[in-house]
Amino acid sequence: MKFLVTKDLAHSSLLGKLMAGVCMALFFYLGLDVILHAYVLGEDVKSIQTTLYGNTEEFIEPILFDTLLLQVHSDLFMMLFTILIIASIYIRLYSTKVMTKWLVHGLFVFGLLAPLCLLVAYANAEVFVYIWLATFVPGHLLGMGMAWFNVKKLVFR
Amino acid sequence: MKNLKLYHIPIAYMLVYVVAILATGIWLFLLSQGLSSADMASTLQHIMHTPEPKSLYNFIEVATPHMFAMGTLIFVVAHFMLFSTKISQNFSLHFSITLFIVAMLNVSAYLLIIFGLVVSGWVKIVSLGLFLFLFLLLLGMVAFSL
Repeated sequence: MKFLVTKDLAHSSLLGKLMAGVCMALFFYLGLDVILHAYVLGEDVKSIQTTLYGNTEEFIEPILFDTLLLQVHSDLFMMLFTILIIASIYIRLYSTKVMTKWLVHGLFVFGLLAPLCLLVAYANAEVFVYIWLATFVPGHLLGMGMAWFNVKKLVFR
Repeated sequence: MKNLKLYHIPIAYMLVYVVAILATGIWLFLLSQGLSSADMASTLQHIMHTPEPKSLYNFIEVATPHMFAMGTLIFVVAHFMLFSTKISQNFSLHFSITLFIVAMLNVSAYLLIIFGLVVSGWVKIVSLGLFLFLFLLLLGMVAFSL
């Protein structure tokens, strides 16, 4: 990742295009990740609660804790790399903007809180289902927005 | 670090993410070994005396993503030592190589149990403990260099 910071973009159009390419891929990854989580956990609060806690009336078992923990474990890994790449390129391209610092903070905080909230929500803390939704969706949208601004600056500069 | 103040933010968050990844990973391992309550000591004793039997398929299923993930994670974290002006490159090099070797040993430790070369699970606990200790030390070195 060091090259993302040190290599001079003015003398390497290839690096600029590569950075645009990875940002485009991560933009779609984040979009698809929201859809994937909707399939795995549910697309609204009711179905997410059913997945986490089960439903005795409909004889639906709650998700196994091991399965949820594995999801959180791999989510943290994937988000770390995704966010690290998007944030590194964004800082490089928009380092003079005041908002940059806060957007990067927001991206990392949302990305970390979302999986942890899911674990807390499993321990019957239903309010954390709402907090998970309030961190997961805006976090992904923020990541997609920053990836898009990276592409815009790299391709249409 | 060399006048790259804004880059301190992602690097600092990365350290927190890695700790969370390590914590959930160890939790998953202990769950797979029968951790059902907060009694960590009895779970460790259980692993020591009678580690959960695993097939070669189970081993490969776990080892394959971990070889990739641990390799890339160590690479990404350790490469930030290139920016460090407080810790020598030579020390960072030897430390990173040691961590890579310990990580590979940790992933493949269960093979010794599967093939019956060792009956006790000490090899897994020792390699896991050593890996965790070295990785946390590396995170500390990156934090110190910030």
